Amino acid sequence: MDLKAFENRVLPSKNKLFRFAFRLLGNTEEAEDVVQDVLIKVWNGRASMDQINNWEAWCMRLTKNLSLDRIRAQHRKATDSMDVGFEVKQEGLSPHDKAEISESMQQVNQLIASLPEKQRQVIHLRDVEGYSYNEIGEILEIDLNQVKVSLFRARSAVREKLLKINAYGL
Amino acid sequence: MDSKIKELLERYWNCETTLEEEHELRSYFNTETVPDELKDTAALFRYFESQKKIELKKVVVHPTMKTRSADNGKMVKMFFTSAKIAAGVLVLVAATYLVRQEVRKSYPEEVVDTYSDPQLAFEETKKALMMISKTFGKAKQEAGKISVFNEAEQIIQKGKTKNDLEETDI
Repeated sequence: MDLKAFENRVLPSKNKLFRFAFRLLGNTEEAEDVVQDVLIKVWNGRASMDQINNWEAWCMRLTKNLSLDRIRAQHRKATDSMDVGFEVKQEGLSPHDKAEISESMQQVNQLIASLPEKQRQVIHLRDVEGYSYNEIGEILEIDLNQVKVSLFRARSAVREKLLKINAYGL
Repeated sequence: MDSKIKELLERYWNCETTLEEEHELRSYFNTETVPDELKDTAALFRYFESQKKIELKKVVVHPTMKTRSADNGKMVKMFFTSAKIAAGVLVLVAATYLVRQEVRKSYPEEVVDTYSDPQLAFEETKKALMMISKTFGKAKQEAGKISVFNEAEQIIQKGKTKNDLEETDI
């Protein structure tokens, strides 16, 4: 793989890698570091990776592994990312509506962050990044059934919590 | 439209939707005004959509450039390691030097040769040797007195054997 192929095939997915790392680590700087590490690893090992056909999934997997390594190394839990929930593009809304939307975003953000690691990974890959079940399995190194089960549990948990929020009017 | 969305949503919660249908749900909740009962669900889908817009803000250092700086890091590391070793050696050398000096200081001054004139040195040696021989002579004289005891013992021995002979004669 030469520089051009690298720029065309690997670099465009850097935002996806960042989002995934961020989902796992909950910290912007760490996520950036992970993405940087992934790109360096891919570049340094480019000679032996020519047979890989799905670069993006492979990079995502590397991102996952490096992120988890970091979490394990620091014995730290991913924290809620409050500021991210605020960055919502909503135009033509009154300040009140805006505040309400940000608040509900924040709630959803916390809700997703409170999911178990695997469910968080799966729901992120499916609902944010729009990967197929097969790709998710490839990225997370689990089989198709596990992907489906994790996604089902994640969505059920989200639904339940949303209903709770609704019922109590929080 | 509403009933279709509701049906889609139900299938979404059961993880039976395809990627296209999920995309449809996302775009519905992100564009249209939704009824109140779906507000929280809308927040979820808006959250997913907003997450997708998060981008890696930090400019990714190109891996080819980073590799060089990684080498640089190795060099710095190597420098520090060798500096540590050098410091250790330095301490050892300094310690040896100081200990040697201490040991030299503790030797008595007289041991060091002070005579430069051979004649004078000869005289001094002779004097010293004479002193030793004089003392030896004196000691020999004194030791001569011990022979008195020997003589006495011999006389006693002789007397004893004479008595024995006389006894056997009888």
